Amino acid sequence: MIKFDKFTLQNGLKVIVHHDPSTTLVAFNILYHVGSKNESPDKTGFAHLFEHLMFEGSIHIPSYDRPLQLAGGENNAFTTNDITNYYITLPKENIETAFWLESDRMFGLDFSQKKLDIQKNVVIEEFNQNYLNQPYGDSSLLLRPLAYKVHPYQWATIGKDISHIQNADLEDVRNFFMHHYAPNNAILSISGNVKTDEIKTLSEKWFAPIEKREIALRVISKEPEQLKARTQTVYRNVPFDAIYIAFHMSSKLENDYYVADLISDLFANGKSSRLYQSLVKTKQLFSDINAYITGDIDEGLFIITGKVMSTVKINDAETAIWEEINQLSNGNIDDYEIEKVKNKFESVYEFGQLSALNKAMDLAYHELLGDAERINQEIEKYRRVTKDEIQKTASKIFNRKNSSTLYYLSKK
Amino acid sequence: MKLDRRNHPEFKNIEHINIPIPERIELNNGIETFIINAGTQDVVKIDITFNAGGWYQEKPIIATVVNEMLIEGTKEYTSQQIAEKLDFYGAFIHAQPTKDFGNVTLYTLKKYLPETILILEDIIKNPVFPEHELNTYLNKRKQQFQVELEKVSNVARREFNEQLFGKSHPYGVKTKIEDYNCVSQKDIVQFHKTHYQSNKCKILLSGKIDKTVLALLEKHFGNEDWGFNATVESAQFDIPHPVKMETYIEKKDVSQSAIRLGKILIKNGHPDFHKLNIVNTILGGYFGSRLMKTIREEKGYTYGINSVLVSLKNAGFLVILSEVGADVAKKAIQEILNEVKKLREEKVSVEELDLVRNYMLGDLLRSFDGPFEISSSFKNIIDFGLEINYFNEAIDAIKNITPEEIIELANKYLHEDTLIRTIAGKYN
Repeated sequence: MIKFDKFTLQNGLKVIVHHDPSTTLVAFNILYHVGSKNESPDKTGFAHLFEHLMFEGSIHIPSYDRPLQLAGGENNAFTTNDITNYYITLPKENIETAFWLESDRMFGLDFSQKKLDIQKNVVIEEFNQNYLNQPYGDSSLLLRPLAYKVHPYQWATIGKDISHIQNADLEDVRNFFMHHYAPNNAILSISGNVKTDEIKTLSEKWFAPIEKREIALRVISKEPEQLKARTQTVYRNVPFDAIYIAFHMSSKLENDYYVADLISDLFANGKSSRLYQSLVKTKQLFSDINAYITGDIDEGLFIITGKVMSTVKINDAETAIWEEINQLSNGNIDDYEIEKVKNKFESVYEFGQLSALNKAMDLAYHELLGDAERINQEIEKYRRVTKDEIQKTASKIFNRKNSSTLYYLSKK
Repeated sequence: MKLDRRNHPEFKNIEHINIPIPERIELNNGIETFIINAGTQDVVKIDITFNAGGWYQEKPIIATVVNEMLIEGTKEYTSQQIAEKLDFYGAFIHAQPTKDFGNVTLYTLKKYLPETILILEDIIKNPVFPEHELNTYLNKRKQQFQVELEKVSNVARREFNEQLFGKSHPYGVKTKIEDYNCVSQKDIVQFHKTHYQSNKCKILLSGKIDKTVLALLEKHFGNEDWGFNATVESAQFDIPHPVKMETYIEKKDVSQSAIRLGKILIKNGHPDFHKLNIVNTILGGYFGSRLMKTIREEKGYTYGINSVLVSLKNAGFLVILSEVGADVAKKAIQEILNEVKKLREEKVSVEELDLVRNYMLGDLLRSFDGPFEISSSFKNIIDFGLEINYFNEAIDAIKNITPEEIIELANKYLHEDTLIRTIAGKYN
């Protein structure tokens, strides 16, 4: 049970405080409700590029990193399809440094053409390092647009194409900031050996003077139901064939989400999981196999992927995956197995509680989903899933018509 | 009063770090055991480290195969039964083979420790390495190895290590694809027999540790000697003088080249080590480092660059590593060399040194925040047999190092002309 206090400033900034006396550090996490789904289709990769610019100095503070390091702190950030999340850990006594730095960059950034050009280069190298210059690295860039035709989840956070990053101009950057970075579009969460009163005072001092801003209207179209199986085949310089199958699934706010998550665990979480035991160990069709959900807030994807053994034909490997899928959809599940994946979820959750930073991030994220209190209901939601629900959800998701299959084949 | 947004609000330098010292005990059979009792959650982690790394193997990859296959079947249980049990209890066993050690780690909820420690005991004492499991494992690993070889970073790492240590040194030898065809079950069983014994391991216990946990550990690992109890002569290897200062492996169709620069340096435990580590941090050991500033933030050549003092049991070396745009590899190397030279020639400013001091102290604070952070911080110290007050010495060094000492150390150890280089990708 994670206890916390919650309050909202006049300007709309939500603040969550979790008292954790076991640590001398404090975790300071700020979530902005903007991700790659808020980009326009001809300017993708922007939310993430912008995340980089947030470290390039703000109106009153020329360097973000220097003063933080001076105060013994460390920071980082990440961008997803739904959010951009910034976090700091630092000695508890120096918490005001975090307020000072984060409030100033919410107040305003010190943009310049030079800074933008440099960060464009850095992001292009990130694109190269993580997507283009890695074996199978571009698979997610291919699979998303195959599965989504309307919803902006069709592009990855890094962007559709390097040219979008190259073409970003200063005007775009300014607009993006004014429309998405605002107290009324953010959630601050803090965990550590702190008192709520102290956090209230500091929040009032540093964040309250920042005025509310008008947030860009979000018109995000729902992805229409997929009516026909889709496939795509590409040939690449990789040693072995790989297969990626994506299925549309529910949004994060539906009960089906938890069911699907448990199904992905039944399939591929741990060495005793179904796909690993059957397809890697017994039949030896794959060298690696995985099943996971993308975890997005809007309707997300359930993905099954594997690298095929060199002696195996990709069609046989694919057939074997479908046999496993059908087993589950036909209700071939025993209670022990469901108990096992639930236990595992609970255990991982328990280990996660060791970190003040984890807790701060989770609290902010659950608040975004509707209420930070959801963090304490998670286990119960997984525990409640029944065999019947698993079968129903499996039959609903694992329909050929609902599938997009990428055959990623070796040129050799 | 108007809010002063320009000036840093008052902050404190980190004066004191409470370094929890692990309690050392010996089990009945003499196994050296270290205990870290900390944290709020009812979880337990057990690290068992055997002197069973690649250093001790007579044939390629044997040490790795043994370590990773412990879990693939015992006298009593099949691979699948073991996996089922661990997953049911939500526990994890990780094998981590290194050049020096064979590591086995159990993560478990404390309430399931009686069941999970039984599995840990079984896989360490009674593994059988079934032939069919071995074949599956080798075929799978062989493919994964081939995929890994497609990455320029791996190509550069392998080549760099060979350049530093030579082809026949255990730290320099490169695994080859053929090695996966030459592993026999007999060799595996033999290696396990000679190296996984009660007199060749150390145990590190962390989490909520109380009497019941200790009693369980004693019962399963401490009551008597286990394993074959052979004495093994630890082979010694010479490190040859590097034959080649620069190696370039061309890889067509790449958008980035992986580069590595470095040299053999002092081992961890050497009197200069803590201070040299500070010099390294200034150069490329944190996000605000000089290399990050120049190569990433000024030039935009890379997504990231690091400089690391690598500690092995019998050697230490420096490596500066990055993946850079394929067309700027030459320029990036030149910039790196300039930065190294600058360390030797120009005194570090007081501002920069203060920043690095505070950053490093903050980082130490983070490394002792939580039971598993504490245990991973102490893991190398214990495995290498270094002084248990290691971190207090590190703190002293951080607080007291002077700009003069930094120049001196840089000149003593880091002359840019002595760095060997490896480039994988394009280089022109």
